[in-house]
Amino acid sequence: MSVTRKGRRVLAATAASALLAGSMMAATSTSVSAADKTGGTLLFVTFADQLDHMDPARVYTGRDIAFLNTYLFRNLVMYKAVPGSAGASLVPDLATNTGVPSNSAKTWKFTLRKGITWQDGSAITCADVKYGVSRVFAQDVITDGPQYAVSMLDIPKSADGTSAYKGPYKGTGQALFDKAVSCKGNTVTFKLSRSVADFNYALTYPAFAPVKKSKDTGDKYDVKPFASGPYKIASYKIGDALTLERNPKWKKSSDTVRTPYPDTVQLRFGVAQEVRDQIFLQDSIPNAINFDGGMLPTNIRKFFADDSTKKRRMNVYDPYVRYAAMNVKKVNCLEVRQAVFFAINTQALIDLSGGSVFYGDPGDNPVKPVLGVDYTKTTGNIHDSAWKITGNADKAKALIAAAKAKGGACADVAARATDADRGLVWDMAISATNQKAAVLMTNALKDAGISVKFNWIPPGQYYSTVLDSTKENDIATAGWGADWANASTVLPELFTKEGGFNLSLNWDDPAYPAFKSLMTKALNETNRAKQAAIWKQGSQYVMDQYWIIRPVFSKTQFAWGSGIGGVNYWEPQGNYLFPTMYVKQ
Amino acid sequence: MAKYLAKRIAYTVLILILVSISVYLIFSVLPMDPAALTCGKTCRPDVIEANRHRLGLDIPLWQQYWNFVRGMFVGRDYGTGQAAFHCDAPAFGYSFNRHECVTTLIKEAFPVTLSLAIGAFVLWMIVGVSLGVIAARFKHRIPDRLATFFVLVGTSLPTFITGLLMLVFIVMRFGLANPLDIGKWVSPVTDPLGWMKTFIWPWMVLALAYAATYTRFTRSSVIETSSEDYIRTARSKGLSDRVVLWKHTLRAAVAPIVTMAGLDFAGLLGGAIITEQIFNLPGLGRLAIRAVLIDYDLPTIVATTLLAASFVVVMNLIVDVLYAFIDPRVRVA
Amino acid sequence: MTTPFLEVRDLHVNFPTPDGMVKANQGISFTVARGETLAIVGESGSGKSVSTLAVMGLHNRKVARITGQAILNLEGGPVDVIAASESEVRKLRGKQMAMIFQDPMSSLHPYYTIGDQLSEAWRLHNHGSKRDGLKRAVEMLDIVGIPGAAKRAKDYPHQFSGGMRQRAMIAMALINNPALLIADEPTTALDVTVQSQILQLLRDLQRDFNTAIVLITHDLGVVAELSDRVNVMYAGRIVEQATIDDVFYKPMMPYTMGLLESIPRVDRGSGGRLRAIPGQPPSLIVLPKGCSFEPRCHLKHQVVDGRCQSQLPDLEEVMPGHFGRCHLSPEALTLAHVEGVR
Repeated sequence: MSVTRKGRRVLAATAASALLAGSMMAATSTSVSAADKTGGTLLFVTFADQLDHMDPARVYTGRDIAFLNTYLFRNLVMYKAVPGSAGASLVPDLATNTGVPSNSAKTWKFTLRKGITWQDGSAITCADVKYGVSRVFAQDVITDGPQYAVSMLDIPKSADGTSAYKGPYKGTGQALFDKAVSCKGNTVTFKLSRSVADFNYALTYPAFAPVKKSKDTGDKYDVKPFASGPYKIASYKIGDALTLERNPKWKKSSDTVRTPYPDTVQLRFGVAQEVRDQIFLQDSIPNAINFDGGMLPTNIRKFFADDSTKKRRMNVYDPYVRYAAMNVKKVNCLEVRQAVFFAINTQALIDLSGGSVFYGDPGDNPVKPVLGVDYTKTTGNIHDSAWKITGNADKAKALIAAAKAKGGACADVAARATDADRGLVWDMAISATNQKAAVLMTNALKDAGISVKFNWIPPGQYYSTVLDSTKENDIATAGWGADWANASTVLPELFTKEGGFNLSLNWDDPAYPAFKSLMTKALNETNRAKQAAIWKQGSQYVMDQYWIIRPVFSKTQFAWGSGIGGVNYWEPQGNYLFPTMYVKQ
Repeated sequence: MAKYLAKRIAYTVLILILVSISVYLIFSVLPMDPAALTCGKTCRPDVIEANRHRLGLDIPLWQQYWNFVRGMFVGRDYGTGQAAFHCDAPAFGYSFNRHECVTTLIKEAFPVTLSLAIGAFVLWMIVGVSLGVIAARFKHRIPDRLATFFVLVGTSLPTFITGLLMLVFIVMRFGLANPLDIGKWVSPVTDPLGWMKTFIWPWMVLALAYAATYTRFTRSSVIETSSEDYIRTARSKGLSDRVVLWKHTLRAAVAPIVTMAGLDFAGLLGGAIITEQIFNLPGLGRLAIRAVLIDYDLPTIVATTLLAASFVVVMNLIVDVLYAFIDPRVRVA
Repeated sequence: MTTPFLEVRDLHVNFPTPDGMVKANQGISFTVARGETLAIVGESGSGKSVSTLAVMGLHNRKVARITGQAILNLEGGPVDVIAASESEVRKLRGKQMAMIFQDPMSSLHPYYTIGDQLSEAWRLHNHGSKRDGLKRAVEMLDIVGIPGAAKRAKDYPHQFSGGMRQRAMIAMALINNPALLIADEPTTALDVTVQSQILQLLRDLQRDFNTAIVLITHDLGVVAELSDRVNVMYAGRIVEQATIDDVFYKPMMPYTMGLLESIPRVDRGSGGRLRAIPGQPPSLIVLPKGCSFEPRCHLKHQVVDGRCQSQLPDLEEVMPGHFGRCHLSPEALTLAHVEGVR
């Protein structure tokens, strides 16, 4: 089961920390003086060859965003750099406040504060903000990043559905962009195409960070971005290391978010997984931090079984819900979808991936509890009395029989599902774990009389294949995390026709129109509490329709050396709370 | 001789052209779609198309190839407006995954592979040929049996096993190297000690595999040559066994080994993929394997393939010329 | 009579093999004097080369079991090659005794020039610079009749014709004036015309340098041209030993008769088949108890009591200076030969 490569960050609006299982986070550093934290090198190690992207407009992984936002890029607004649910609130960074909405949240204004500078000492201007936001429209150069600017700003579309503004390199439609994002002195004004009450949360993405036009090198900006934060790039060698050194032009007086403790920050690439794990198992490099978070399965078990590593590890819920999407177009029978759900041996799957301690728990919602107000326990699905964590073949059989009795489309689908020669087809990315999982699924479903075949897709091609509605088969595994603490980044994306990640292909389902109107209502609701109530309804709806099955609330682990202090979990980013980390002096 | 050389060089160029065309053809029929690779969550058909255009893959194949050929002579331009840049000739292309002109990537990767190849070559030739001669000299006795055992071990263990064993059980277990310095490239000119520290382990891994083959080959070549009539003549002249071995037998036995060695070396110059991967060396092998398996980066694939092919083809020529120096029977009048 | 230069006495050479002990030479004795040519004749596998290799000391001492004596009567005293150490024998090789081989192309090192190889042979046993050696080499090449010797000394073996190569080999063998030259099938690989040239050369050189020559061959025509005396070998033993005339006109062993009869003759009309000796020579591992030739002998029925199978005949002097290994009487043998010749 593969999670989308580009992760999302999650906001915890309530005291969701009670849900965190396993070892808790390391102690915060309130008792240590600043002098004892300043200096040294924070040494991050990863088995990857490079950071996927360093271009602020193209970076989309929670971890990378947290890393870059802490050291290199400043945004208009940022998440508060504290552990726990308080870290999910916004604080101004380059702006003087967290934004002023007007016109039913269709217009947003931000004023830049004084004394903000680039790494060469020049001032960061409103024009830089405007330029930075405009870059994502150059879709032939700037790829992979979040598309919120494109989907939210009030810029008309061309006939082919793409934006009429083609970005600052070509300049086509520049006037249209200039109307949507305008500067007056130090104030930037955003005009949106619809009301977005939580627009300022989108601004925590570096895609909305300023970029200095004269330093923009297009595709090459991905390896040589210009810094506005307390550090700048000393060197970057793919396959070798990224080294950051202090940026003398950054002014502490202009930055309420960051206190740059280490003298150097280094990210070492190409450290083979086994070698990397040994570093933390043996604590052979005290100032090392595992940039990849977790370890190989046997090593993570060893690491957590060892009492001496208690202060160097975390086991927390990550921002993702991992699930299997049912292709409602092809499996257009609720009873059959239910049957598959009840038949699956969830326990075996969890055990396969590391057990519930390290992997996660069965979930009851496409929205994760850490989303706070938008989450509530649903009824039915795993709370149904007939549901067994090891699978309930009898219940599944009964459902199939009911489907066959119903006749029409249901009978067809049920017949196909129980036909040994045809059966249901499950899209899966090729990996050793998935292949073992496939065996477990096959057996569990066979007990219920359901036949399942697997369509194996090379990992690099997985999402491009299943997101193609003409290519997706009956079931597809996926994972999703909210972009910020609002289910607006989950339910509409996953379950509406306009959503960017709809693997359920549910818009022809008779149950869809009711759901769609719920979504529309919620998106336009400016009262947060009222909005939350609608989201909760929507989640229940999704679960009742079994548009996805087998959600798992997954976990992630982190490890670091004994020479590092101030390690916490940054809930909205789903990764290390980088701003508080320091090297013990 | 000059005419012969000219003809061979013309062949070499022709072969390289054929190789480059083949790479383009193969790439075009692959089931993988590089345009679809980089778009994780936002992967919709129109996004994939935009990607394909960005990567320059939406123009006809012959045009892609022509752009490549032209780039080799005059360089290539990319992007528009502020995002425009140029790759200098000879421009194999631009890698959108590494955000760098491929020629630059090659220039950086080659010294690493060269270091690996030279060190391993020297090591395996010394060990392999010496052991082979000793084994032949003491045929069927203990030194020979030990050498045969060594040959068996060396030829049957693939480098991915010996490499991993070396890395995990020797280097890591005994703390013989800083785990973060594994594969760290330093120039032998500025830091010779560091350079050796990086390469000593992969040298040994590679040398083991090759030395075994060369021991076996040298041994059989020496044994075979020893039974030649002219060796009997040499002995009948009254030459001592030592002189017969060194001056007569080895001189003849070594000739085919030279050919093999040259070609093996050339093959290594194209990149020792497995060894570079295990020891995290940023050489041509790693560059190639990443481009092929992970990125489907056509410009890099073309560049590494062409480079590897040209090393082999050129070395073929060199070895042939060298052989003529060694064996007078082969000389073109 | 002067002592012969080479005296081989009761030479036994055995090779242990996985299949058993190969008895290549069983009690070989012969002598050769300076200025004299002894031919050793026999089929392949008869052991004719083995004895001379033993004389040169070229067998692998760790493998071959050699007993007997091979004495070189040098000016400084006799030396038994069999008993001597390897280093002692090495001093003699190329200096007192030399050998040339069948295939001159494969017998010369392909990577060194002719001049170098000859020079090496000379400098091994003489003090001198490379230039001296080369000078001597050119001298010898001239003597053996290679035109433009100075230039050709810089050539490689593959640039010489077959006959030239053999001449060069002879030059190399004689460059130190050895008293004994062993020629193992020197003309077998050459054309007939070249063959006689080479044999003529050997005759001339023998006359000039008074060399003792042992000529190994299976070709009776070659024997006729060059030899003084002949040893006929069969299955590792000498079965007839005589002067050249005696062997040709008065063979005292049915095998020799068979050899003579199988030569194509100009004076016998064409048509009719060549008379070959039926059967195969015996294995040298398992030798019959009696006469080794008995299975193929066309005269064995003449032996009254069937002694051929059970008793090995001795090599007896049946006529002065003429030895034969056969149970038949000389009269019976003479009669059989005359009848066959007619």
